[in-house]
Amino acid sequence: MEPSVETHNLTVIYDKKPAIWNIDFTLPTGKIIGIMGPNGSGKSTLLKAIMGIIEPNIGYSKVFDKELDDVRTRVSYVPQRQSVDWDFPASVWDVVAMGRFATKGLFKRLSKEDNDIITESLAKVNMTPFTNRQISQLSGGQQQRVFLARALAQNADLYLMDEPFVGVDAATEQAIINLLKSMRDAGKTLLVVHHDLHTAQDYFEHMVLLNSRLVAEGPTDEVFTQEILTETYGGTLTTLSKVASALKEKDFPMRHK
Amino acid sequence: MNFFTEIASFFTFSEPNVKVVFWGSLILCSISGLVGTFTLLRKRSLIGDVISHSVLPGIALAFIIGQQKNPLYLIIGATVTGWISTYLVDYITKHSKIKNDTAIALILSVFFGVGVLLLTHIQHSGNASQSGLDQFIFGRASAMNMSDVWLFTIVGSIITLLVVVFFRGLSLLSFDESYSQSIGFPNELLKLVLSITTVVTVAMGVQAVGVVLMSALLITPAACAKFWTNKIIPMAILAVVLSGVSGVLGSAISYTYNGMPTGPWIVVVISLFAFISAFIGSKHGLLKKYIQRAKNNTKILRENTIKLFFNPDTLGETTFQFEDIFEKSNMQRGTLKKGLKLLKSDDLITLDNGTYTTTEEGINEAKAIVRKHRLWELYISRFMHLQPDHVHDDAEGIEHVITPEIEKELEKELDFPTKDPHDSDIPY
Ligand SMILES: Nc1ncnc2c1ncn2[C@@H]1O[C@H](COP(=O)(O)OP(=O)(O)OP(=O)(O)O)[C@@H](O)[C@H]1O
Ligand SMILES: [Mg+2]
Repeated sequence: MEPSVETHNLTVIYDKKPAIWNIDFTLPTGKIIGIMGPNGSGKSTLLKAIMGIIEPNIGYSKVFDKELDDVRTRVSYVPQRQSVDWDFPASVWDVVAMGRFATKGLFKRLSKEDNDIITESLAKVNMTPFTNRQISQLSGGQQQRVFLARALAQNADLYLMDEPFVGVDAATEQAIINLLKSMRDAGKTLLVVHHDLHTAQDYFEHMVLLNSRLVAEGPTDEVFTQEILTETYGGTLTTLSKVASALKEKDFPMRHK
Repeated sequence: MNFFTEIASFFTFSEPNVKVVFWGSLILCSISGLVGTFTLLRKRSLIGDVISHSVLPGIALAFIIGQQKNPLYLIIGATVTGWISTYLVDYITKHSKIKNDTAIALILSVFFGVGVLLLTHIQHSGNASQSGLDQFIFGRASAMNMSDVWLFTIVGSIITLLVVVFFRGLSLLSFDESYSQSIGFPNELLKLVLSITTVVTVAMGVQAVGVVLMSALLITPAACAKFWTNKIIPMAILAVVLSGVSGVLGSAISYTYNGMPTGPWIVVVISLFAFISAFIGSKHGLLKKYIQRAKNNTKILRENTIKLFFNPDTLGETTFQFEDIFEKSNMQRGTLKKGLKLLKSDDLITLDNGTYTTTEEGINEAKAIVRKHRLWELYISRFMHLQPDHVHDDAEGIEHVITPEIEKELEKELDFPTKDPHDSDIPY
């Protein structure tokens, strides 16, 4: 089976300090895959690098065995909810419609079919009653569902989601995970950044554990072990962070590609 | 002549130059309203300030090189230095430890300082056609001529066309830059479109408004418009209209009182719009909030008063003397009188010889409000596990906001109850 995402030596350096370092993995298709790691471990950075939102300083990544640009319509990205200003003058419908721009591009008008897809996506996340609601009047959980609906409207095969469970109540979280599972059953691949260790084992069949570098990657029952978790969350990888600070302080050049 | 007739005489276009001023400021300000919508939505207000101050050295240089006030030269000069300034701010922020706001302050003051220096130099050189240059500081619409207006029309149309064509991309870029990039929109091109249109708009706009107040003209119309609408297209259109109207009115005032700079007047007018918008704007307008609050208070008073007439035994007609009912209520005497007046004017009660009696309608209203109160008490004691003696105060407030739909849902949720948590009947 073709891999969904593969990264080779992927390294992103902000302001001379590496945020992710030599990430090297190949992920399967048709699974719900968790990306876990402490705050600042580079989870968002990893997704952004895969999506080409930031250029890696070293290394590269491929999606479905191709360059991202060749398969872009098959990939959908759900940013962290807090990354946008929800006081923007737009309705729920307007935001979900953005999902269709992925195929329509800058200029083509939305067709009847596009409108149907938007309506359907809203229904899938139970947001139909809020279709015309101004987005500034949504709760956190509703905002998150709008972002999911926008991604659904893209009709992609691979979804990269940055913390879709943050700030949603238990019922919404359950609804979202059910939705993700039904997407998985339809053959989609979901790459989900997640924080809660308690639910991780239930939600994910495959996992990427990250702490600036790749700690472990593999099927959940293999990598979700005490030892690996301690390595990811516990011991503050002192050597690594020392080296990173030294690089920054002394202005050492990292290899550039 | 008084103020208004003088302003009105501006719009008769009796003097030949008035037409130039009218069209010039209308075009400049409208465009700046359009472009400014995105400046505001992208939270780049400060960048507008940088550009407007940084066009000054460009204008001065263009004058030194061209030796006269050629509008095309001036715009090109202004665009070049305005552009360099934004580039520098971005570069410094990205490649050094200096924060964005510091970089902005730095570039702004350096460029503006150099601009003022150059202008002073030109004035001391005694060039005959220097006149009008120093007016770029505060703007003077009356210094425009017909060839300026033609240039503004052509350049303005190009800017408008660019914004309209790329509207979808520009909106998405402003809302969610990462997502825009992720679906393959050309973010760099879109940013280029925005910065070119902004710089050129400012470069032209300073003629009417001056460098000091140009950024206010960029931001304020969009900020006003946002009070009135939640949709981006109406917002942009409204910003254009408000800005255009302010431009024309401001110019008319300054033209009539020859010698006054234009920029401050335009900004005074648009600020007036901003003030009005903040006060009565449909979205978060203060007036609307005020009216809503007054309405709520009336509703609460009305419902609290009719509740006093609820007869728990018969669920029917009740009669009261004022003093009885006053004792029963815990309202101020005046408040209660006001409440009774409300009920009477709505025919919920009648007053006969100092005796208040409920009408059929009044009985129903009293029952309705008590029903809502008791349903809510039951609901929160059952679903939020509150003790029955804790639910009354909460229900006192909530009973007034329960709509018929919510009431139906409560009944269903509670399986059509007959007793409240205090074991009193729920009246139907
Ligand atoms: N634009 C940026 N410029 C400089 N440093 C950045 C930038 N974005 C992130 N970083 C740094 O890179 C590191 C990784 O950040 P990232 O946002 O990828 O972490 P994360 O795992 O998503 O964290 P969180 O759980 O808090 O979302 C952090 O140390 C962060 O401070
Ligand atoms: Mg993150």
